[in-house]
Amino acid sequence: MNQNTDKQVYSKPLFIICALLAVVGLVCWVMQLTKGLQMTNLNTYNTWGLYIIGFMIFTGIAAGSLLFSSSAFLFNSMAEYKPYAAIATIVGVICSVATAGLFIMVDMGNPLRAWRFIAGANVSSPMFWDFLIIILYLIIGIIFVSTLMKVAKGQKDSKSMYGISLAAFIAGLLVTITSFVFALQVARPLWNNPVQPISFLAAAIVAALALQIILFSALNKSGAMPMSSDKLAKLGKIAGIFLFVELLVVIGEAIVGMYSGSGEEAPIIYWLVAGEGAVYFWVEFIAIIAGLVLLFKKTDTSVTGAGVALFAIFMIKYNLLQAQLSNPLLIYPGSPAYSSNAYFPSLIEIGLFIGIISFGVVLALIAVQKISLGTKTNVGVNSNQSHGNIGVEAKA
Amino acid sequence: MRYAMAIDIDRCTGCDACAVACKVENNLPNDIWWNRILTIGGKTANSPKGTFPNLQMQFLPMNCQHCENPPCVKACPVGATYKREDGIVIQDYDKCIGCRYCMVACPYSGVRQFNWKKPEYAIGMAMGDAAVTPHQSDVVEKCNLCIHRVDQGLKPACIETCPNRARIFGDIDDPNSEVSQAIKGRSYVKILEEKGTKPSIFYLT
Repeated sequence: MNQNTDKQVYSKPLFIICALLAVVGLVCWVMQLTKGLQMTNLNTYNTWGLYIIGFMIFTGIAAGSLLFSSSAFLFNSMAEYKPYAAIATIVGVICSVATAGLFIMVDMGNPLRAWRFIAGANVSSPMFWDFLIIILYLIIGIIFVSTLMKVAKGQKDSKSMYGISLAAFIAGLLVTITSFVFALQVARPLWNNPVQPISFLAAAIVAALALQIILFSALNKSGAMPMSSDKLAKLGKIAGIFLFVELLVVIGEAIVGMYSGSGEEAPIIYWLVAGEGAVYFWVEFIAIIAGLVLLFKKTDTSVTGAGVALFAIFMIKYNLLQAQLSNPLLIYPGSPAYSSNAYFPSLIEIGLFIGIISFGVVLALIAVQKISLGTKTNVGVNSNQSHGNIGVEAKA
Repeated sequence: MRYAMAIDIDRCTGCDACAVACKVENNLPNDIWWNRILTIGGKTANSPKGTFPNLQMQFLPMNCQHCENPPCVKACPVGATYKREDGIVIQDYDKCIGCRYCMVACPYSGVRQFNWKKPEYAIGMAMGDAAVTPHQSDVVEKCNLCIHRVDQGLKPACIETCPNRARIFGDIDDPNSEVSQAIKGRSYVKILEEKGTKPSIFYLT
């Protein structure tokens, strides 16, 4: 066994902190399960919040990571990332699906009835389609990695990557269906338009690449898996292009909503840009701009840029939810009193949000440790060495 | 056969008797109202808009619209909400997973409500009809047109209670029914009809 295999690719304190935060999240969930969803700051109007935001982000990361990993085997311009496809898929797809699944579970009032998604499935529900897609991500992610492993071990021909890569790429594009949960609702004019599928796809790519940049920078720093700053910067630029698409969507929605000054979208946009939601909107706007500047900057700031871009995507999803839910179609006063206040999560929600993400990080750290062991010995990290290297072997 | 309701908003005085009758009849938990009286006027309930003496105020009783094309039924991932053959849209508490997607899908914001905690009641004993399905925590609930009464040939509690007879109920497919007769020759609006939901509540104007 290579002596490198014993090397810890991450610091133990990080693992311990994440594990502790995951336990804090678990405590929050127990409290929420025993006392009900009253522990959240959700209400009749703002019926969805931080958990659904987490779900949107991590399904996006899963989809975007599938697009990233499969692109390496489908497009010559992305072939340089072949050696990173396995770890990108394990962390970006498998760990993200687990995280997204947990977000849905904690959002449900009756998580013990989750089996009804299968037993009582309503095929006309976009949420059911979403459920199928998440399962699809997981299955394709697992097949993708196992095929990659077999190719690396020489058990399969490198050409066999093409089929699964194509499937993974198409599956990644299906993140547009996640947007249908929102875009198909006639009750919600801000969502009920064809820009949402495009916005969801762009957000998925930004979030996934941002996560991959952070992951590969960390692996690079620890020496477990070198990635040149050029390759990191290229990922940053691609993320930047799609973040720019999101900027266009945000500006477009604002102008379309404000131009006429009346109609169904106008009050929502006014609420967001200049009303109760203004602080959140301008934080989102500044985060997008800052993310773009950092991602396109020439100096090596891609990790900061990736972090800011992830935060920008978080704010985009946050405002997508609260701007619409805080501004329903019927806002006449009555009981329960309608309030146009902005949504801010409760401590339990924040604890659970951080806890679930920390759990995802713990999963990723374990995976990275296991895989990079393999990487050092037989999967191969350095694309200059072709011995048993997943990417290079597959490319050959 | 399709049940429908007509609400004569010229007759409605905003007395909330129907809301209370619904609350008692269905033993609704604290903070849950299947039937609410909204005010079209000022910024708070029961307040007019304008400056004296030019004031305007109208009431809009709001409960589930029992749509012919209900977005909530399409949205529910587990079939916990469905439409009966007589047009009544039902919420099955035993099937509800508490995802609240139906609340997102419903354009009539607030008619679907969620039990954010274990149901608590204003008094220490159950009220209303014993045939009412027991309430559950962490599920969505809403107006079911008092199916426990309708199935016995009775009218929903809100209809019986309205002191001004502003609410009329019956089979809209039967031209001789009370509701069909009430609508006949009157102008009416259906709320957010442009959303394609085909609501079964006719607001007579």
